[in-house]
Amino acid sequence: MRIDPANPVAPTNVIRRYGMDQIPDHVPRDLIRQAGIIYSPEFLADPYKFFAGMHEKLPPVFYDVGPFGNAWVMTKHEDALYALRHSEYFSTEDATPFPRDPANYFYFIPIEIDPPEHRKYRNIVDPLVSPQGVLKLEERIRALANELIDDFIDKGECEFDEVFGRPLPVLVFLDLMGLPRNMCDTFVSWAMALLHSNDRQIMADTLKTIGDYLKTAIADKEANPDDGLVSRIAHAEFDGKRISEKEAFGFVTFLFIAGLDTVFATLNNMWLWLANNPDRRQEIIDNPENINAQVEELLRVFSVTFSGRTVAQDVEVRGVKMIKGDKVTSILPACNFDPDVFPNPTEVNFNRPKKIILAFTVGVHSCMGAHLARLEIKIALQEWLKRIPDFKVNPGAETIYRPGGVIGPESVPLVW
Amino acid sequence: MPAVTYVEFDGTQHVVDVAEGENVMRGALNNDLPGIIGECGGGLACATCHCYVDDVWANQAGTPTSKEESEMLESTSAPIKATSRLSCQIFMTTALDGLVVHLPETQY
Repeated sequence: MRIDPANPVAPTNVIRRYGMDQIPDHVPRDLIRQAGIIYSPEFLADPYKFFAGMHEKLPPVFYDVGPFGNAWVMTKHEDALYALRHSEYFSTEDATPFPRDPANYFYFIPIEIDPPEHRKYRNIVDPLVSPQGVLKLEERIRALANELIDDFIDKGECEFDEVFGRPLPVLVFLDLMGLPRNMCDTFVSWAMALLHSNDRQIMADTLKTIGDYLKTAIADKEANPDDGLVSRIAHAEFDGKRISEKEAFGFVTFLFIAGLDTVFATLNNMWLWLANNPDRRQEIIDNPENINAQVEELLRVFSVTFSGRTVAQDVEVRGVKMIKGDKVTSILPACNFDPDVFPNPTEVNFNRPKKIILAFTVGVHSCMGAHLARLEIKIALQEWLKRIPDFKVNPGAETIYRPGGVIGPESVPLVW
Repeated sequence: MPAVTYVEFDGTQHVVDVAEGENVMRGALNNDLPGIIGECGGGLACATCHCYVDDVWANQAGTPTSKEESEMLESTSAPIKATSRLSCQIFMTTALDGLVVHLPETQY
């Protein structure tokens, strides 16, 4: 259905199903599972082992039943590519888990806008986040990484997640948006409540809090324009007409949610692995010319999130019938372990032939920040390993994963 | 500004100016041309800006410029030909003024 981005209307036909009592009749009984993705003890003990194991233990397409909602789950690389690239069957309508107030509705832009209209929004952002665009940020990111390291290198230990993994991507993001750095801790607490509370009331309240702040920020940029993304969006024009209030709000809000937690979780995963694999760390140090392939391979094995869609018209995947309105989740980290595409999938191999990885999804809605994320990870690896080449996890520390839609260890305590 | 001719699979031609230093994928997106998707934004990560450089331009622009581009070309949906390129990797210069690229039947 075509929607008018300037006049959002809450969809009335959304069906969310929870638990074994709410399984639609067209789901074959033998494809029903309670896989425990993101919450079972087995998952939380080692999420990446769980993702890789899905290819052996579960059907490639199955109907997952659980407390966070029932949905078809897909783990094959090929199926995820198909779903994410065919919005005529797999729509982004109601594909995000964030509860909005129906009386004061807005669209998450651009993800909820179908092509070709979505392109006009992407064109505002793309020049800043293209591979060439992000290079303008390189020097600043490198300086920031070193300033952060300056603060703790002499102590011989750190809580990686708190002093590096969190501030590096969040401060870069705030600079890019044109939002104040001193709001970093507040923004992070909002992101945690929104993405990790697993409580729809807390999520809804937090989204409202974030929205109130962003409305003020957008108004401020309207009065005082600058080079940041919030200002560019606030002042955007389409065919000579100023962007509407609802569009600007939905766009800025979506960027805010997308930008705060994902690179953080990714860095935590990677540094935990680096700390536990001194030989592989040395391999990265010894092969600086291969850094792009190293970043890509680490992104493959440490993808942090999922991609949800709503079936827009009846469709069949691997002989499984899906009906309009069904929810579908592509388990991106599992797709990146698909042995049909990546032989020896769990082996970290920096010399793999280049293939499409699903860390940033694919399709017209694939991640806007992908090249910024790649650059941040590259700089983080280079600057950290230059100054702290040898480090390990603090002995006795326990690695804990908590349930949530972005996968990463709760803390990464390091010593050197 | 140098011009590029994009020829859709059905033969429809579009001639647009693409600034020096800009890439051929971006030139299509900036002008709302069909046939090129460029979903990853030009980072050698998706193979959805596949094009066939016209034989006349094969010497100047018909060969991949990196190992990554050659490897990524194996992930295209449409068949690969001798002058297959990822258009995000063709950067415009005055020498390429008049470049002709043919678009495949599908990018997915």
